[in-house]
Amino acid sequence: MKLLPKKWKITYSLMIGMIIGLAAYNFLASNAISYLSDSPKTCINCHVMNSYYSSWAHSSHSRFTNCNDCHVPQDNFLKKYLFKAQDGLYHASIFTLRKEPQVIHIKEAGKKAVESNCIRCHEKQIDETSLMTHYNPKYSDFEERYCWNCHREHPHKRVNSLSSSPESIQTK
Amino acid sequence: MKKNLLYVIIAIAMAAVIFGLGILASSITERKAEKEFTYKPVVKIGENEPRNDVWGENFRREYETYLLTEDTTFRTKFNGNAMRDALEEDPRMVVLWAGYAFSKDYNQPRGHRHAVTDIRNTLRTGGPLTPDEGPMPATCWTCKSPDVPRMMEEKGITEFYIGKWAGKGQEIVNPIGCLDCHDPSTMNLRISRPALIEAFERQGKDITKSTLQDMRSLVCAQCHVEYYFDKTKVENAQYLTFPWDKGSTVEDMEKYYDEIEFSDWTHSLSRTPMLKAQHPDYEVHKLGIHGQRNVACADCHMPYISEGGQKYSSHHLVSPLKYIDKTCMVCHRESEETLRNNVYEHQEKILENKILLEDVLVRLHLEAKKAWDLGATETEMKDILSGIRRTQWRWDFSVASHGAAFHAPIEILRIMGNAINIGSETRVKLARILAKYGFNQELSYPDISTKAKAQKLIGLDMEKLNAEKQEFLKTIVPKWLVEAKERESKWKIIRY
Repeated sequence: MKLLPKKWKITYSLMIGMIIGLAAYNFLASNAISYLSDSPKTCINCHVMNSYYSSWAHSSHSRFTNCNDCHVPQDNFLKKYLFKAQDGLYHASIFTLRKEPQVIHIKEAGKKAVESNCIRCHEKQIDETSLMTHYNPKYSDFEERYCWNCHREHPHKRVNSLSSSPESIQTK
Repeated sequence: MKKNLLYVIIAIAMAAVIFGLGILASSITERKAEKEFTYKPVVKIGENEPRNDVWGENFRREYETYLLTEDTTFRTKFNGNAMRDALEEDPRMVVLWAGYAFSKDYNQPRGHRHAVTDIRNTLRTGGPLTPDEGPMPATCWTCKSPDVPRMMEEKGITEFYIGKWAGKGQEIVNPIGCLDCHDPSTMNLRISRPALIEAFERQGKDITKSTLQDMRSLVCAQCHVEYYFDKTKVENAQYLTFPWDKGSTVEDMEKYYDEIEFSDWTHSLSRTPMLKAQHPDYEVHKLGIHGQRNVACADCHMPYISEGGQKYSSHHLVSPLKYIDKTCMVCHRESEETLRNNVYEHQEKILENKILLEDVLVRLHLEAKKAWDLGATETEMKDILSGIRRTQWRWDFSVASHGAAFHAPIEILRIMGNAINIGSETRVKLARILAKYGFNQELSYPDISTKAKAQKLIGLDMEKLNAEKQEFLKTIVPKWLVEAKERESKWKIIRY
């Protein structure tokens, strides 16, 4: 440090100050702390999630589950937060770049997480007989069958995209 | 010098980070601001906003379908939404309601948008020229308008039930609409009328615990039910009450009324203390197969509509026969024609019994009058009057809710069967009394082929009633409207 000439010292201090200041502003403005929680309200920090939030809120699932209960792996603490961090960063980047689509489709990793969470709670409803309608090798696509291929209304109903539900306005 | 270059590079790198953070900050701020404008309603709907068009600015689709309740062109075989004179179509009812306002004027119901106009126009509400005149109490407004929950909030529930109908005409101008069934802040269904909440409480039930599916019927059950005005609860008030404490079948409610010795009016021919069934649509629906399967009113009367990928419930409340493809056919895989004919078949067959029953009732009233004229005593007539009361209560319960023949055909046929039996047995007893007083022949059936003839028979001065009504519509109603307009012009509409 001693070697640093005085004029650079001042310049650097100012710049580091700006970085800390801006970072703090971004941290607060983006409500960053809330992302550590399980509250569904966190998901509507981004308004593109409004229609999914309200379709969930009006469903029977809203009485017992929050978003993370289904959309984030729940089998292990580390996995959960790793998944949240990955997903969160991805969502935040897409949203910042304004690349969010009008109709949001779940990705591969998300599907797996949701499927395992369906099973986690509804374990008792799943037995060999009922599974035959689902994971039956006689269907060519049996490995890609998910609960919601049939249970399509749960819990977001079938009309839930941004453009088809412009009136999900009471979510705040 | 090399060192200096390094310092410059570090500075540039830091500047790049600052630049990036700055862009991120602006993006976050921008998108947060966007949130304030995206998916925001157009107007702020006030806590007691009775004006349906204000709600309509936020909920265009629902509002536009709601406006269709103004339509009066749809006709089914027996009903529909057209203005039809029910007394002209079936003048027997004039005799059945002799001495009661329904014999003056009774029309087939039209859509909700006509509620306020129709109650002003009907002869039943008379031609009151001052706020304290007229045949009807203020309670009659209860089911007509979203101005009612507003007034109950402002003035109090009991206060609303005090006074004459004409005393509140200037306050109640918006026809049945949004505030009647929706909570203005969340749009959730809510019960705005205390009578239903109180009826649940007396049965030890909490209406706020109802499921969404139940609410989709209960909002209708605020009005489409059997009710009476309790004059004993609070002095001077006619307190709207549902007679459900013992249950809501025709017998349960009769027991309730008998126990409190209630009668709506005394029949002017037979001198019977009568009961008038109002429109027990909800109670009857619950007894039918759709009700038993927990199909809600809204399932058939407010079907879902898909429009350009958007789904919403139609607010055009009307006979489900108007939209068979969206109502019946959601569950039943038959053709529209088959389904329509299924409904008509029920209605035709029940109509047969209805006419039989009405003929029995017309004869009962006239023969009872004859017995009184010949000098029959009250002790002799006691049984007879009880029979007439029971018969007509069952008849009215079956027909007053216009959809009963569809809602619960088996229950309605059971009630009508019982009524024809009670009525016929009463006529046998009545024949004995008539014979005792020397009249041992058939009393000829009067000529009541038209409404006018029937009204003449029961001694109504229709010319006077019509003149009074015209005077009222010309002088009083315009004043009400001016006053209402002035009041509403003071309510600011907050736009986002």
